[in-house]
Order: sequence, then structure tokens, then C-alpha cells
Amino acid sequence: MSRSAKIFSAIVILLWLVMALAPGLLAPGDPLAINPAQAFQKPGLAHFFGTDESGRDIYTRVIHGAGDSLAIGLAATALGMGLAIVLGTVAALSPRWLDEVILRVLEALYAIPSLLMALLIIAFTGPGVGPAIVAVGLSTAPGYARLVRSQIRSLKNSEMLEATTVLGHSSWLKVRNHLIPNALKPLMALVTLGIGQAVIWAAALSFLGLGTAPPAPEWGAMLSAGRVYLHLAWWMSLFPGLAIVAVAVSATVIGRALGGKVKSL
Amino acid sequence: MGTIAWAGRKIGGALVVLWLVATAIFIAIRLIPGDPAEAIMGGPGSQASAEALAAARAEYALDQPVFTQYLLYLGKLVTLDFGTSYSLKEPVTKVMGEVLPNTLWLSLLALALAWLLALCFAAAASNSGRFGSWLGSLLEIIAAAVPHFWLGAVLIMLFSSALGWFPAVDNGSAQGLVLPVLTLALPLAGFLTQLMRDSLSEALGSQFALAARARGESRLTLFWRHGLRHAALPALNLTGWAFSSLLSGAVVVEAIFARPGLGRSLLSAVLARDIPMVTGIALFSALVYIVVMALAEGLERIINPAGEQR
Amino acid sequence: MSEQTLITLKDLSVSFDGAPAVKNISLTVSAGRVLALVGESGSGKSVTARSLLGLSGGQVSASELTICGRDARNLTDSDWQKIRGNTISMILQDALMALDPLRPVGREIGDGLKEHSSLSKAQRVQRVHEVLASVNMPDPELRAKQRSTELSGGMRQRALIAQALAGNPQVVIADEATTALDSQLTALVLAQLRALKEQGRGVLMISHDLAQVAHLADEIAVMRHGEIVESGPTAQVLNHPEHEYTRQLLQAVPSGVPRFAPLSIISAPRPSAPERQTPTGPLALSATNLSKSFGKHVAVEQVSFDLPQGKTLGLVGESGSGKTTTARMVLGLQKPDSGTVNLLGERFAPLHEPQRKQLREHMGAIYQNPLGSFDPRYSVGQLLTDALSGGKSKRDQSYSQQVDQLLEQVQLSSKLRSRSPRELSGGQRQRLAIARALAPKPSVLVLDEPVSALDVSIQATVLDLLDQIQLETGTSYLFISHDLSVIEHMSDYVAVMHQGKIIEQGATASIFGSPQEDYTRKLLAAMPRL
Repeated sequence: MSRSAKIFSAIVILLWLVMALAPGLLAPGDPLAINPAQAFQKPGLAHFFGTDESGRDIYTRVIHGAGDSLAIGLAATALGMGLAIVLGTVAALSPRWLDEVILRVLEALYAIPSLLMALLIIAFTGPGVGPAIVAVGLSTAPGYARLVRSQIRSLKNSEMLEATTVLGHSSWLKVRNHLIPNALKPLMALVTLGIGQAVIWAAALSFLGLGTAPPAPEWGAMLSAGRVYLHLAWWMSLFPGLAIVAVAVSATVIGRALGGKVKSL
Repeated sequence: MGTIAWAGRKIGGALVVLWLVATAIFIAIRLIPGDPAEAIMGGPGSQASAEALAAARAEYALDQPVFTQYLLYLGKLVTLDFGTSYSLKEPVTKVMGEVLPNTLWLSLLALALAWLLALCFAAAASNSGRFGSWLGSLLEIIAAAVPHFWLGAVLIMLFSSALGWFPAVDNGSAQGLVLPVLTLALPLAGFLTQLMRDSLSEALGSQFALAARARGESRLTLFWRHGLRHAALPALNLTGWAFSSLLSGAVVVEAIFARPGLGRSLLSAVLARDIPMVTGIALFSALVYIVVMALAEGLERIINPAGEQR
Repeated sequence: MSEQTLITLKDLSVSFDGAPAVKNISLTVSAGRVLALVGESGSGKSVTARSLLGLSGGQVSASELTICGRDARNLTDSDWQKIRGNTISMILQDALMALDPLRPVGREIGDGLKEHSSLSKAQRVQRVHEVLASVNMPDPELRAKQRSTELSGGMRQRALIAQALAGNPQVVIADEATTALDSQLTALVLAQLRALKEQGRGVLMISHDLAQVAHLADEIAVMRHGEIVESGPTAQVLNHPEHEYTRQLLQAVPSGVPRFAPLSIISAPRPSAPERQTPTGPLALSATNLSKSFGKHVAVEQVSFDLPQGKTLGLVGESGSGKTTTARMVLGLQKPDSGTVNLLGERFAPLHEPQRKQLREHMGAIYQNPLGSFDPRYSVGQLLTDALSGGKSKRDQSYSQQVDQLLEQVQLSSKLRSRSPRELSGGQRQRLAIARALAPKPSVLVLDEPVSALDVSIQATVLDLLDQIQLETGTSYLFISHDLSVIEHMSDYVAVMHQGKIIEQGATASIFGSPQEDYTRKLLAAMPRL
């Protein structure tokens, strides 16, 4: 990772952390405070990003929305990636027939487009934040699992591991010293790239009215509310969306700096 | 491997995948706590009438042993019978048939546009300096990171509200297609450009590129004869994925632009918890994915017949 | 023979961002003559060759650069394009890399014609077939339609040469065109280059190996650090080298050099060969009737050999002959379909890994590409500590002294301990691989093409190191290579592999002196010698 990439990543992560954990530092107001007299204010000095139909300050809401949006994204990635690591590792290390079976199942699940799979899951569970997390997590898992599997499989068959076999290192030491650490780095990149995608998918569900419900300051929900007033108050849609783009872009940049490839998603 | 053997393997593999998808859905319906008939009718909150529940039981043969149910279910799928939509009271196949062309057109146009944009940008990037390529890669990342539901809104704000060039909602005209197609195509183009740029620069820096220059080919012919093929190959490889991401995007785009289509039907089916409709669409899109994958692989075989078969 | 001068080059200098790569080089290429430019990688020879095509990519200056009567110093890229291919062309090193894998070779060959001539499509196809026939390609019409990946190694090399000849150039540059090829392919390419010379073309041949050019070149120029240090007629350069570096390159050629005679300038004195003890005790390694098939393809069939302690068995064969599969079975990395491997008289394969745990430390391995066998996260010191501790630790300081000893044994500076192997040169990496393999003090080392990726001069130092280690420690080597001259120099016994079988084996002198099999004779005939 180059020096500039490291600095960039550090600053960005710090910024997101502050927004998520202590939004009051950047936006002291109340994201839910209603002020009908101030409805549909254009962006200006009083309201950086303008106000919505109930006069809530959009800047405050975007900042305070970081917590929920990022938490949902992180939780979904953790769920999806956790499942993927277990499945992918089991497939890669098991005998050929079992590997083949797991691979087929993963392929079958991968064949359903992610958002459709998420919708499928929500059709069974009903809408809500929890279901949205589960839906995004489960629907991204097959793709990640395939990558984890091929990653570990190529490591397992690498000359590097053969060389340690010849040196007489035990299987456990090989896994601990070489397999896990070398698989971890690309996984880190993948996780970072994945968080960005998960934030987008979760916001998409909220946007469709299947995730977080509107008054809460979550970016997707804010966009969903802004959609009605698109011709009237463009700022209601612009700024929450920019926040999502910013998260996804910084996740991509950091993920690529960690060595992640575009192909992986 | 001969073409017939290859095709046979592909079809066999596709059938296995479809069977697995169908089975997964069957198991999922049974895993939902409570009465499966109630789940099919939209969950406990739907307060379905006793007759409706009885109809569902009969339709899914829920009074039979589970294995019999499973076989009956598969038997229906084989004859392309996905059941009856509970919210629309019509056969799922019929509803899908009506809206399918809209979604397919939208996705195919977006796929074509994304490819075109990606090729142009990759070509431009291979001929640009350091700053140009830095800027290019930033643009790609942003394009790839933009969510459809926001991009659609921004395009409407710009070209519909502010400039008034294109309509914001579908009115059946060709102009109505412009914004939805752009919304779908731009993020995909971002992904594809990143891919193509990598393989293009690899190809243009290779030994065979040097050999081609040494026998007198110009930069331009080098790009046409060698670069393009090598750039297209990995992107082609991802066509299945690309198409499935377009179907995902279509759900959102059809909602924003109020276009009838598979995605919008799915969304209303999900909101109504219309399980037969939802499973029908899911199975169908799996089928589409598999068909597109096979087509892309066939194209790959034409470009690179000696390539490794997966 | 009339000697028409085709290329005159005076005081060529090339630099990249201010860093000089080539300094004041002068040379001439004449019709019907072969000039060889010899030097190790990084000496600037390839940059020189590319400057003659206007493809160096650096800042070029020369007081004269005349190509077939034309001043080429200030040509634009489109001027160069008119020269490339039909006046001067180039054959690159690896046919697999130098031909586009996605296009039929006939198209690759025809491309140059498209640029330069006004031939119709049918005439071009005709010409492509002619050119292919001229390089003795069997079935030219059929092969022209195939892609390089579908051709055999020999046909691929022919196609590569054909694409350089399509425009009927007067000068052909062969840039390491024989490097890393097995001996039969090398012979094929050399014969083709000879044909070019006899057709009256000028040939500029570039190689790191004097033996490869010795029989073909009329003149030799030796390059080092961007300069020509010596040049002259071949016989004079080979027999009366004036420059120290030329002598070094000559010494590095292993063919015909007796066992244990140094190939490089060695610092430490070594025990002389006769002092080697005659082996006692069980055989270091013995393989009995090893066979392995992959699907229908029989990779190795009934291979048996014995390796006495402290000796070297050379396993030689072309690529695809089953050498590497044999090595993998011996190392216990691939389970044989049938047959056994014994190490120091005890069963080593086939066995389950835990059952041979006690024997593992007696077996070591060296690969062609050492970097692939190192964990990329480890430094030099950590790699060795890891090996010494049996994988238990990569940081344990108590191994520090042993790490230094190992580094010293392979003549690497202990300053390199904190470096990443990626920062080392090819030769240094291979030394590190040797040091790591030596950590458990093995009785047998399996060396799979250990020097094939190295320049001859670097190869010489690594081979000398291996000799030194064998004399000091009595380690036995199973030495696998496609290079007969290396095998001849390094081995006490030789086994020749062909299509998965050992067709002939015995003492080195008898195999090389009086081969019994036709195939062995063919291999030996193709072997480049000084």
C-alpha cells in the first residue's frame, strides 16, 4: 500500500467513525426535529443541505444517518462474509466430491441476482431493518464464498505450501503460518470493497420501502422520502445520495489499495 | 472438448443449477414457522380466508407427505407452471410473459451501452498520459459506486426537471427509455472499464505487442487487432454477472421511472408477500443468468477456442 | 562472398529518464553474416536491438545509424513503420508470449504484409503459406489457421520465425531466440538462423550464452554495463579472449568442463575431487517402477533409478518428458499410481504424510522459480528461521547464529536478512532457496531445473555453490534439467527421460561418450558446445 493511499484511508476511516459514533461533533442539531415553517428550504448558510418537507435539517440528518447506514452495511457484510468464509474454506479444504457439491450449490445461489435474492428473503420474512441485514448478507454470501474458495484452493496448491511440506512442517503449522495469513490479506480487501456494496444494497432496500422506515435518518430512507419531491426539492435526494457514493467510493479506493481487484465483486 | 460435448455439459450443469434453486426455494417455504399455506398466502398478517388457505393447500398438495409435495412441485416447474399469483389472481407465467419484454429490452440496451462506453473509455485511457489515466480511474470508481436509485434521481433532476430533454416517467416512447437505460448502464460501464483497462494495458505491454510493432504494425492496428480481443475477454467472462446485476438494477430503475416490468412486478409481489409470483420470478432470472452465461461462454470460445474451459 | 554492409551503427547511447542503459556502442551488420551480441541480462543488449527498430522507448543518440543505406537517426514513428518488418525485423524470445494467443498464426504472419505491400488477400495468404513452408512448417495451410497455443513447441518456434520473415527483411534480429528452449528446439532455431544467413540476410543474434552463438556467429561483441568490452571474429574472441569479462563468460559455459572444476571465479578453496569418499551404507534415494497417469495421459511409466550417497544423478529430458512429475513423486507431493520411493533404505513413498515425518528432514527441494516457493510476507531472515525451527517460529532469535551460518554457506551477505526475497536478484533468490533447503541438513536434495531461469554467468556461480556444498556436506543430488551441458558437468550418473520413460541410464561418461539409444544421440548432437 502506498504512503498516500495509507494517509487517505486513515483520514477517511476516521471521518466515518466520527460521523457514526459522535455525529453531534459535526452536527449538533436534532435530526428528527420538525419545523414546518422551515419546510423545503434551499441549501444555504442556515441549512447547508436545505430542509425536507417537515423542515428537518438535511445536513444534520445525513451526518446522523451515517451511524445507521454504516452499521447496517457492516452487519450485513459481517454476516455475508462470515458465511462465505466458512463455506468457502470448507469447500476448498474438503475432498473433491464435497467441494463439487458445495460449488454447485453456491453457483445455484449465485444465479439469482443479489437484489432479487434479497427481495425473495424479505418476501418470506417481511420488511424491516433486521430482515434487510439478513437479506443483504445472505444474498452477497454466495459470490464471496466462491472467491474465498478459489483463493484458498490456489494457496493450498501453491508451490509455497508444497515447499513447507517438503521442509516437514506439520499441517497445522502450514495452515497457521501460511494459509490463513496469506488468505487474510485479499479477504481484507474484499471485505472493504464489500462494505461499500452492502451500504448500497441496504440503502436500496430502504429506498424500496423494505428496510429502515422513513422518519429515521437513514440515507436510503431519506432518498425514498425525497423521491416524491424530486421536481420540487432536488436537495432532498442529492445529499443523502452523495453520502452513499462517498462511502462506496472510499471503500473501493481503500479496498483497491489493499490489493482488491474489481473482478471480485 | 468438442462443441457438442461442451453444449451437453452446459445444459446438464444448467439443469442441476435450476433444480438446486427450485429446491432451495421449496425448503425455504417449508422453513418459515407456522402454516406453509399461510406463508404462501402472505404470512400470518394477511388474514387469508379459510377458502383461500384451503385452495393453497390443494394447489401445493400440502396434505400430502413432504416428498410427494416436492415431486409435485418439481413436476409443475418442468411444465413451466409456477402457480397462480395471489395478488393478481392470474397465472404467474402469464404475468411474467406480459412484462418480460420491457425488462429484457431495458437490460439488453443497458448492457450494449455499457460495453460501448467501456470500450471507448478503455481505449481513450490507453492513449492518455499519467494525469488522464488517474482521472479516468477516479471516474470509473465513482461511476461504479453510484447506486442506481440515486443516479436515476439525479438524471431526472438534470435532464427532466431542469432541462426538460427527456421524460421522467415511461410514456411508451423511445425517449422514455433514454434515462432508464443510462441509469442502468453507467455503473456497469464503470466496472467494465476498470476490467478492460487492466487487460488492455497488459496486452499492449506484452511480448506479442512488441513483436507486432517490430513487424511494422502501427499503434492503431495494434489496438484493433490485438488489444480489443484481450480487453473484451475478461469482460465477456463477467457478462453473466453483469446481466444479473442489471436485473437487480431493473427492480430499482423500474420503480423510479414507473416502468412496467419484471422488477416492478417483483417489488409489488414482495410487498404483497405473493410467494408464487416471487419464486417464479427468481427461478426465471436464474434461468436467464444461466442462458446468458452459456451465450457469453460460447462467444468466448469463438474468440479463444484454445482457452481453458472452466 | 560479397559483404554488403546493411547496418552501420556508431556511438549509440540510450538512456531512460536520464539513466544511461547503453553507452557509445558501435557495430555493423553485413549481408550473409551473423553478429552475436553477448552479455548478461541488464547489460543493454536488448535495448541496443530495439533501438535498431526504433522501439527502445528511451532517449536515443548516435553519430551514425544507417539501415540499408538510409539514415535512421531522425525517423518519425510512421517512417519507422515502413522499415520494420520489410527491411529489418525481430524474433523474440518465447514463442508462446510473442505470438498473440487469440489469433491464428497465419494472420499474425500476414499482418506485416498488410502494412507494407499492396498484395491482394489471396496473394497474402499465398505468401503466408510460402513463408511457413520456407521454415519447414509441416502442413502450412492447416497450421496457418491454428493459434499458437494449439501448435507444438517446434511448430510454434517456426511460426515465430515466419512472422519475422513475411516481409522479406534484409536484417533479422534474434533477441534471446534460443533462451530457455530445450536442446532440440534450440537446434531447430539455430538451423533456421543459419538458413537466413545463407540466404544472404544479415543476422544480429542476442544471447547471454556464448555456447549458443559459438557455431553460428561470424563476429562476437561482448557487452557489459551498457558497453561493448570486446569484439572481433568468433574464433579470436573464443580462443584468445582479451577482456577479463569475456574469459569469465567462457569459463561459465559448463559443457565439457570436468566435474567439480569451477565455472566461476571462486573465492574459497575446495577439496579436490579425488578426495571424495566412496559411498558406504544404503542408497540415498532409490525409485522403483514409478508410474503416474493423469486421465488417459501417461505422464511417467515404470521409472526406476538409484542415487548413491554423496553423488549426483542427472535426470535429463525435454519439456513434457515427465521429469517434474517424477520429482514430485520422489518428494512425496504426488502419490504414484504404482511403484515406490526409498530414502536412505526406508520407504518414503507412497506413505501418508505423518508416517514419513521422521524421514522428511532428510529430503529437500529446490525449484526453478524460488520466489513462488517463499511466503511473500517473510523476510530472508524469517524464511530461514521458519525453516530452522520446523515452522514453529519465524522470529525466534536463538536461531540467529544458524541463520548467519546458512547465509554464509550460500555466500549471501548477512545484511540481506531483513530484506524481502522480492528485492533480491535471480541468483541471490536461488541461493536463498538453497540455504533454506539446507536448514534441516537433508541427505538428498531434489533440484528441479534450478538454474534454467538464470543467465549463464549467474548459473555458473550457483552450480559452483552446489558443487561446494556437496563436497562439504556429502549431500546427494537428484538434478533435473533440460540442459545437457549442465547435466554433463554436474552429474555422476545420468538418466535420460523420453515420453515418461527412462530410456537410458548409466555413468555420465558412458552416456555422453557412447550413447546407445538413437534419441540420446539426437539430444547430444543438438547440444550447443563451444
